[in-house]
Amino acid sequence: MFPILSVMTYIPLLGMVAVLATPRNNPNLVRWISVVATAIPLALGVYLYMHFDRSTASMQFVEQFDWIKPFNIQYFMGIDGLSVPMVLLTVLLSFLCVIASWGIEDGVKGYYAMFLFLETGMMGVFCALDFFLFFLFWEIMLLPMYFLIGIWGGKEKVYAAIKFFLYTLFGSVLMLLVMVGMYYYSEPHTFNLLQLAQSHQFVGKTIALFGHQLPLDKLFWIGLFIGFAIKVPVWPFHTWLPWAHVEAPTAVSVILAGVLLKMGTYGILRMNYPILPEATMWASNFMMDLGVINILYGAFCAMAQKDLKKLVAYSSVSHMGYVIVGMASFTTAGVNGAVLQMFNHGTSTAMLFLLVGVVYDRVHHRWIVKPDGSKGFGGIASVVPVYTGIMAIGLFASLGLPGLSGFISEALVFLGAFSNPKFQTYVVIGSLGILLGAAYLLWMFMRVFLGPLNEEHKELEDINGREIFTLAPLCVLVIVLGVYPMPVLNLMGSTIAKLLTLFS
Amino acid sequence: MSAETLHNIKLFAPEVCLTLFLCLLFIVDGLIPKSRTNKVPMMVTIIACIAAVLLTCKVGTTSEAYFGGMLVNDGLTKFFRYFFFFTAAVSSYVAFGSSEIENRSRMEFSLLLICTTIGMGIMAGATHLLVLYMGIEMVSIISFVMAGFKRDNLRSNEASFKYLVFGGVASGLMIYGFSLLYGLTGSLNYPQITAYLSSTQGNLGLVFWLSLVLIYGGLAYKISAFPMHFWAPDVYEGAPTPVATFFSVGPKAAGFAAFLRMVLTVFAAKTAEGNWQMLPGISLTSAIAVISALTMVVGNLSAIGQTNVKRILAYSSIAHVGYMLMGLVTLDRSGLTAIIFYLIAYCAMNIGAFWVVGVVSNLRGREDLDAFRGMGWSMPVLGTCMGVFIFSLTGIPMFSGFIGKFLIFGSVIKSGGFLWLALLGVLNSVVSLYYYIKILKSMWLDKPEIAESLTLSPYHAFGLVGLAIPTVVLGLYFTPILEFAERTLSNIL
Repeated sequence: MFPILSVMTYIPLLGMVAVLATPRNNPNLVRWISVVATAIPLALGVYLYMHFDRSTASMQFVEQFDWIKPFNIQYFMGIDGLSVPMVLLTVLLSFLCVIASWGIEDGVKGYYAMFLFLETGMMGVFCALDFFLFFLFWEIMLLPMYFLIGIWGGKEKVYAAIKFFLYTLFGSVLMLLVMVGMYYYSEPHTFNLLQLAQSHQFVGKTIALFGHQLPLDKLFWIGLFIGFAIKVPVWPFHTWLPWAHVEAPTAVSVILAGVLLKMGTYGILRMNYPILPEATMWASNFMMDLGVINILYGAFCAMAQKDLKKLVAYSSVSHMGYVIVGMASFTTAGVNGAVLQMFNHGTSTAMLFLLVGVVYDRVHHRWIVKPDGSKGFGGIASVVPVYTGIMAIGLFASLGLPGLSGFISEALVFLGAFSNPKFQTYVVIGSLGILLGAAYLLWMFMRVFLGPLNEEHKELEDINGREIFTLAPLCVLVIVLGVYPMPVLNLMGSTIAKLLTLFS
Repeated sequence: MSAETLHNIKLFAPEVCLTLFLCLLFIVDGLIPKSRTNKVPMMVTIIACIAAVLLTCKVGTTSEAYFGGMLVNDGLTKFFRYFFFFTAAVSSYVAFGSSEIENRSRMEFSLLLICTTIGMGIMAGATHLLVLYMGIEMVSIISFVMAGFKRDNLRSNEASFKYLVFGGVASGLMIYGFSLLYGLTGSLNYPQITAYLSSTQGNLGLVFWLSLVLIYGGLAYKISAFPMHFWAPDVYEGAPTPVATFFSVGPKAAGFAAFLRMVLTVFAAKTAEGNWQMLPGISLTSAIAVISALTMVVGNLSAIGQTNVKRILAYSSIAHVGYMLMGLVTLDRSGLTAIIFYLIAYCAMNIGAFWVVGVVSNLRGREDLDAFRGMGWSMPVLGTCMGVFIFSLTGIPMFSGFIGKFLIFGSVIKSGGFLWLALLGVLNSVVSLYYYIKILKSMWLDKPEIAESLTLSPYHAFGLVGLAIPTVVLGLYFTPILEFAERTLSNIL
């Protein structure tokens, strides 16, 4: 069988090698190689979408063979309904970001090499079904990310890059311990995620720490959860996010917000839920708490921001809160909504970051209100009508206007959570987040685009063809999925139904 | 010569071979005109090491004691012999590319290097306290000379002297410990000491514990473990970089070999399943766990504030000893496999990292973080290799250092009793990222002050890439090493 997942994963890596092998001072060659190296996975992604069997919950396009025999580590790739939306999101955003990065002039070779390497890491995370392999991809993603933020980022790039790296590594080392622990405490020893999920063998076992006998499954759950929560990011582990997202170059912010954050929630659904369902049940209230805090905290922070990009960054914190709430509800609607929200947030936030990047490229600042208190923009709708139109679509999708994608996923999340009597209060409090979301986004829109024109920006150029090319597919997705979300919901339906049988 | 003597010499062949090459070096040096001696001693050293490696393959596959039970040839000896000869060969290659080793004294450098290697071989095989002491002194005394190899450099002299004073104290402690142990057990021979210790059924007086502490003091100095680690940063900083490269791997591993053998064969006994068990009344595992924890914490925390890259790497090498000691806590095969893997990984990545520092220091004349500014952009190969070594030292997957940590933490978690140590270990690797990444930040994130075109000579590029490749490959596929370690461990006397 054609190893489609591996090909999708390693084509960017080959692209990286090709990029590094190009002669000096030929940036266009580098850019076109990168376009090809991301277009092939995108094309294969379309093929996956067409041929993915929506009726089964089992793994598809499986590739499995022994890798490190003495530890029973396998090279095991496969996708189910949880991974497919994420894989599609990854290949789509990577392709668009390569085009969106056309304006990078310094160290083009290095930039694209790192970017392609990053795509390999992301693809691997969503396809790996062996814990060891998963961890490998999870970690190697950090390396290109560190350099992408640290070299091509904004003013505070060095601090942002190291903060991102340290935080994520902290999460990963806990995950490493859990990984090793799961291996040694499972019978037979295995890293195979499906096998680990089949037998609930960590329940009731204990491990000693300073003489206390601690329950193994809860300890594993906490270790994994912290690792993933840092990536999501769940409050209080979110402090790396505003730095990394704001300082990163536009395309990297898009990837960070669009794909990397989803790895956290994907990881929780892939590991914590099926492998440790009892502990997940035990922690559901706690997750719900964190989800609601995320929604409100992110929204309030976003409202206080004077920097456009920081506002979008905090809005991600808020929107990932919906995902957590949906997941923790353990209802079909809630979990479907959560995964759909992961996809929809990926498209809408990518739009917003790209749009912020567009204006930043032109005026080299993105103040809503400048530090000295004067207006950063104001009334630019009359100068850049097309830009404003697209911004409006992205923004309304993000705040959950009916008819656009964000609405459906948020509605499903709250519908699901409300149908679980335990969580009705949470829903009431959490839904305030929608209100706050509308508030900060519309307020931003008002201050930047409406009102009297700020004379500084009357020469502002409207969005160009290349930028429209990167935004158009996202626009279409946002509108189509807002009207008819079934193409994505169909993909994950059976997998989530099977996952939820563990919690009924 | 009796047949037995011949057989004994055969088992000692790798060291004998090095000794012969040592003599050859004198002759070669006399024959070749001074101006052309540049690379010849290096060639001889490398050939000597290759010959020694081949001989190590040849001599006995079964483990046996020789020279009247003073030395032993078993799996551990074999592994460490390979390790030392490889390290010596690479170090000599490193040294001959460096301008820190003057042209006129390259011959002496090679002599000293080979001599130390012989001493290390003896340390690894010793099963007799006096032979061990002799091996240690052979390594130490020559190390003092090597540390002071830049004769007209004040720092180098200081390093040498510090090393000497510290080494003197440490070996004094150790020999005192040996004498106490001898007085107590009536023997210097490992098997006889073990026999006595197990016959006491754990009724051991204060003298025994005192001797243990003193011996530990001596060995801790060699592996630079807490609390005898203070010399390492000063000595590494002052010594010529190639010498520091060698110190951070070779003699340290030799100390580790002696430490392992002493713990495993004197104070513990093999169980039926092929693991080890401490003798009754001598439970050292908790003590080793505490030492390991302190060593890695002290190493990592001290490294944070450093700005000299050689000092950073010196403290990091202390921290790595802490990680490696974790593998000994469980006293089982998985832990020792982990140590063996870790040593192999550490050898490549640490030599590599020091080598890069040496190259930069030759160009800039200093080795603080500022000297590394923008080096990645002016010499991409150097920068990429350093990236590989640094990430590997940190323990990021895809590089061999990660697998080392994975195996070490795995063995600790498997044993179940030392979860705190594993937690401390992983937190330490997060801390270590903070200072390691400073080096890469200087190399890649900072732009060079002045645009300059530097080229990395093919000589260095070949060597660095040669070390970077195994660092990556072992990070992705390590089955052969596991099998090798398994064979090694099944063969410990």
